Amino acid sequence: MSEYLRLLEHDIHIAALSFMGLAYAIRAFWLFSFRPVTEKSLPAGHPSRTVASSLFTVARPWTIEKHRRTPVFYAQFVVFHIGAAAAISLTFIIPHWPELLAIEAVVRLMQVTLIAAFVAGMARLYRRLSDPSLRLISTWDDYFALVMMNLFYVLGAWTISNRCGACGWIVLTFFLVAALIHLYVPFSKIVHYLYYPFVRYYLGKAMAHRGIGRYVHPEESSWRNKL
Amino acid sequence: MKGRIVSLAAGSQPDSRSATQYRMLSRLFRERLTREMAFSMVSCVHCGACAQACHYALARAHDPCMTPAYKADQIRRMFNRNMNWICRILSGRLNAGTSAADADMERLRDIVFGACTGCRRCTFNCPIGVDNAALIRFTRGILTEMGVVPEGLSNASRNQWLSGNQMSVTEEEFFDSLDWIKAELQYELGVGDLDILVDKKDCDIIYAVNPREIKYDPHSLMNAAKLFYLAGESWTLPRYGWDQTNFGLFSGDDRLGAFMAGNLYRAAERLRARRIVVSECGHGYRSVRWEGYSWANNQQTIPTESVVETVMRYLIEGRIKVDRLRNTGSVTFHDSCNVARYGGLVEEPRWVLKQVCSDFREMYPNGVNNFCCTGGGGLLTMPEYRPLRLEVARIKADQLKVTEADTVCTMCHNCRDGLGDLIDHYQLNMKVVQVMDLVAEALVLPPGNEGNINE
Ligand code: SF4
Ligand code: SF4
Repeated sequence: MSEYLRLLEHDIHIAALSFMGLAYAIRAFWLFSFRPVTEKSLPAGHPSRTVASSLFTVARPWTIEKHRRTPVFYAQFVVFHIGAAAAISLTFIIPHWPELLAIEAVVRLMQVTLIAAFVAGMARLYRRLSDPSLRLISTWDDYFALVMMNLFYVLGAWTISNRCGACGWIVLTFFLVAALIHLYVPFSKIVHYLYYPFVRYYLGKAMAHRGIGRYVHPEESSWRNKL
Repeated sequence: MKGRIVSLAAGSQPDSRSATQYRMLSRLFRERLTREMAFSMVSCVHCGACAQACHYALARAHDPCMTPAYKADQIRRMFNRNMNWICRILSGRLNAGTSAADADMERLRDIVFGACTGCRRCTFNCPIGVDNAALIRFTRGILTEMGVVPEGLSNASRNQWLSGNQMSVTEEEFFDSLDWIKAELQYELGVGDLDILVDKKDCDIIYAVNPREIKYDPHSLMNAAKLFYLAGESWTLPRYGWDQTNFGLFSGDDRLGAFMAGNLYRAAERLRARRIVVSECGHGYRSVRWEGYSWANNQQTIPTESVVETVMRYLIEGRIKVDRLRNTGSVTFHDSCNVARYGGLVEEPRWVLKQVCSDFREMYPNGVNNFCCTGGGGLLTMPEYRPLRLEVARIKADQLKVTEADTVCTMCHNCRDGLGDLIDHYQLNMKVVQVMDLVAEALVLPPGNEGNINE
C-alpha cells in the first residue's frame, strides 16, 4: 500500500501535473492563434481601473445581478472555490509538508473548509438537476466535473482524518482522484479558472476603451474626444 | 425565407448540399472568430447566472430556451464541432454539435434574431465575463452570409447597400425634406438667415441622421438645426453618407458595417469636417463612434460624438441657454443598450436632462444595468418576432410603471419606437420623447427674438 501511495503522491502526481501544464500550454497557444480585435477608434476611458474592476468581479458580488439577488448563490460559489484551493493544496501538503497536518487547527480548518465545499457542491448539483433552464444547458461534462470535485472534497476531508490512521486506501483514492482531475481538467469546464483572467481582461479592456463603467464629470466628458 | 438544414451531427456524414454549407461554416469560423470571442466560446461554465439578467429569460421563466447561455450554446456547439480540437477528439462528449441542437438553421435563426436583442445585459452580468451578445452577433453574421436571415432585416440591409440609406430615400426626397425643415424653422424662430447646408466644406461639424428623420419624423432634424443655429455652429449634412444607421450591426455583417460607416468617414474627410456628430440613435452612435472605425479599418482622426454630447458641450461653453421650467412634467430616462452598455454614455444624457427639465427621476435599474426597450438588435424590422418581443417587454413595462413619470425620454430612435410599442401594448399612461425634444423645448431664444413658437 505505502509503495502505491508513494507512487501516487509523488511520481503520478507530478506526471499528471506536467500533463496538465502541457495541455494548458497547447490550449493557450491555440486560443492565442485567433486574431485579436484591433480598435481603430480613439479611447474614451482609463484602462487600468476598469480592467482591474473587471478582473476582480468575483470579489465584487454587487456587480452581478444573480449575486445581488441571490446572495446564497454567491456564498456557495465562494465556499466551493475555497474548497477547491484547499483540496489542491492538500495534494502538496501531504507529500511535502506533512508536519503542517500535525497542527490541530490546520486539520480542523481544512476539514471544515472541505466539508463546507462538499455541501456547497451538493447544493450546486441539486440546483443543476432541479432547475429546468440549468438542466437544459448542462452537459455531461458539467455533471461529471461537479461530481469529481465533490468526491475530491469528501475524500480530502476524510484523508486528513485518516492520515495517521489505518485506512490508507482513502488517502490512496484521494490521490487517485487528484491525478484523474489533473488529467481531466484541460478537457473540461474546470479549466475556466485558467481562462477567467483572459476573458475578464478582454472584456475590461473593451469596456475601458469605450469609457463604460466610469464616472465622468461633465466638464471632463466634453474633452474626452479631444485628440 | 427558406431555411436550410445542415447536418452537423457528431460523426454523421453530411449529404453533398449540406457538406458545402458545412465547409462554408468552417471557413466562416476560421475567418471571423476573434481571440476575444474564442475565449468566450470556451469559458462558459453553465452556471445559469445570465438567466437572471435577460429580459427574455425573466419574462418567460417557464421557457429554459431563453437562457442566454443556451442561446450562445447553439453556436458554441458548432464551434466545438468545427474548431475546438479537444471536442473534435472527444466528439459528442464535450458539448460538441448534436443533430438535435444545431442541425436546424431556421431554428438557430429564430433564436439569434428572434429571441435576443443583443442588449449585452447578460455579458455584464456573467461572473466569468462571457460575451454572449458578441457570440450571438457573430452567429447572426454567419447566418446572414448563408442567407438564413429575416426578411425585414435583409431588405433594410439591401437598401443600405444599394442606396446608401436604409429607407432608400432619394436625393430629391432628401432635399425636399431639408427645404421643408428650413422653412418651418425660419418661421418658428422668426429668422431668415437660418440655412441647412449640404456638402459644405470646412465646417466644424458634419451631421449624420437616421433616415426616418428625413422620411417620417423631421422634428429630430429640426431640433438639431435649431440647436446649431442658436449655438452659431458651422455645420453641414453630407449629400451622400448622411445615414448613420447601420444594419451591418444588426445582421452581423461587418462588410456592410464597414460600407455604411465608411460612407460617413469618407464624407467627413472629403468635406474636411472637424467633428462628426450623429443624431440620437443608439446603434448609429455605436456604429459610427466605435465599431465602424474597426470595421472600415479606418483610424479615427477627428472627434466623433452624439448630439447629446454636443448639447452638453454647448451648455458648458455657454453657447446656448435653456430654461428647465419649460419642461415641467415628470421625466424618466431610458438608457439605450447601444449607448450605455456599448457606448459608455451614461452620465452625459442625465446631465443634459437635469438642465432642461425640472422633474427628472431615475428608473431602476439604470445605466449599464438598464433593461432593453425590447426593440433593439433590429427587432423592429422583424414583425414575425413581434408577439414574443411584446411578451417579454413586460419587464420594461413594469420598470416604467414604477417610475410614475409622465414621460420616458431616450436618446435612440429605435428605443423610441420600441418603447412606444410596449406603452401601447401595456396601456401605460406615458409618452416617449427624445433628449433633443426636451432640449429644443427648453432652448431660450436670444433677447429680442420671440419667434413664433406658440403658433
Ligand atoms: S454565460 Fe456566464 S453566466 Fe451564463 S452560464 Fe455561462 S458562465 Fe454562467
Ligand atoms: S444579449 Fe440581451 S437579449 Fe440577448 S441573451 Fe443577452 S440579455 Fe438576453
